[in-house]
Amino acid sequence: MNKYLSKIIFRLLFSFVVFVSIFILVQRSLTPESFGKYGHYRANSIEDNKIQTSFFKGEAECASCHEDLYDLKDSDLHSEISCESCHTPKIDVTTECKEMPPVVEGNIELCALCHATNPGRLKKGVPQLDFIEHKEGKNCIECHNPHAPWELTE
Amino acid sequence: MYAFAKPIELLAQSKDTDLKEDKTDQSLWGMGVDLESCIGCGKCAEACKIENNVPKEPFYFRTWVEQYTVKNDGEVKIESPNGGIGGLKQSVPTEDIFKSFMVPKLCNHCSEAPCVQACPVGATFISPDGVVLVDESYCIGCSYCIQACPYGARYMNPYTKVVDKCTFCYHRINDGLEPACVEVCPTNARIFGDLRDKKSDLVKFLQKNPTQVLKPHLNTSSRVFYNGLSSEVK
Repeated sequence: MNKYLSKIIFRLLFSFVVFVSIFILVQRSLTPESFGKYGHYRANSIEDNKIQTSFFKGEAECASCHEDLYDLKDSDLHSEISCESCHTPKIDVTTECKEMPPVVEGNIELCALCHATNPGRLKKGVPQLDFIEHKEGKNCIECHNPHAPWELTE
Repeated sequence: MYAFAKPIELLAQSKDTDLKEDKTDQSLWGMGVDLESCIGCGKCAEACKIENNVPKEPFYFRTWVEQYTVKNDGEVKIESPNGGIGGLKQSVPTEDIFKSFMVPKLCNHCSEAPCVQACPVGATFISPDGVVLVDESYCIGCSYCIQACPYGARYMNPYTKVVDKCTFCYHRINDGLEPACVEVCPTNARIFGDLRDKKSDLVKFLQKNPTQVLKPHLNTSSRVFYNGLSSEVK
């Protein structure tokens, strides 16, 4: 009887040790590198999230070449607007400004984004216009200086 | 009023335990949204899509702008055609409007984030500088976090088949740039900065204005602070 019992205990312990070691091995091979360094996530993922191209370069980059236009824009009402608000980068081919200049048409659709009448924009200091009433059929930049629209070109 | 004059102390009393810890070398990012300045031009939503390769279809957004219209009879109408890209236009006749305002929405980067708790594999997490990020290579696409998010800030990317969300443009802020939406905002309605840096624009914004977070009853301790938030905003 005793002989059988010790055999059973030995088998139980042996299988327990085998299962636990298999579990530890499987868990180690499946857990990705750096998992759990800061918390329940892969710490290397923080670095992965930093790898991405910035398409918007910032005003300093624009001003390094176009200082005159930047100063003109910065001199009055549009000083808070960054260059890339209107000159959205064109990203189809390249992010280099010289190869694909972010030219915008100074049309009514662009200016109307901010200056079209909307009751939600009242009293926020942004002049609002009824664009159908205000010189129909003409592009805004035909009369207004695009980088200083408070000035008329002629 | 005392509480609003001392936002950092107010936050220290809240659940935001990260701010209590004295880690002066580590940034803690947050954003302020000034609803009194937002004009609903939709430039932020457009810039976000370009910067982060968000699908161009009108139902995938990392950030978007909503127009709230309260009618004279008390009915609240919420509109956001194409997330505000191309400018918001008022559809209610002016004589019916009691008030109208725009609300930009984005991930609130909660310090007690429900999405992080819901993720079964640890693919979404709060980084040491307080940004809720997604581990794209580890996400299994179960979309539990999309259901858990009370702000609707997450979406399933149809091309990569993993969840995507606002990262405060994590690649930009670590290069010393501002997030794309903050960069292009023509009225400075979005203010980005370090909550631990007392000289940052964001801390100054919090000191000057009585700010509120979205859905404060959920105790998510979010780090996107709204100035001029109306009770109609859900």
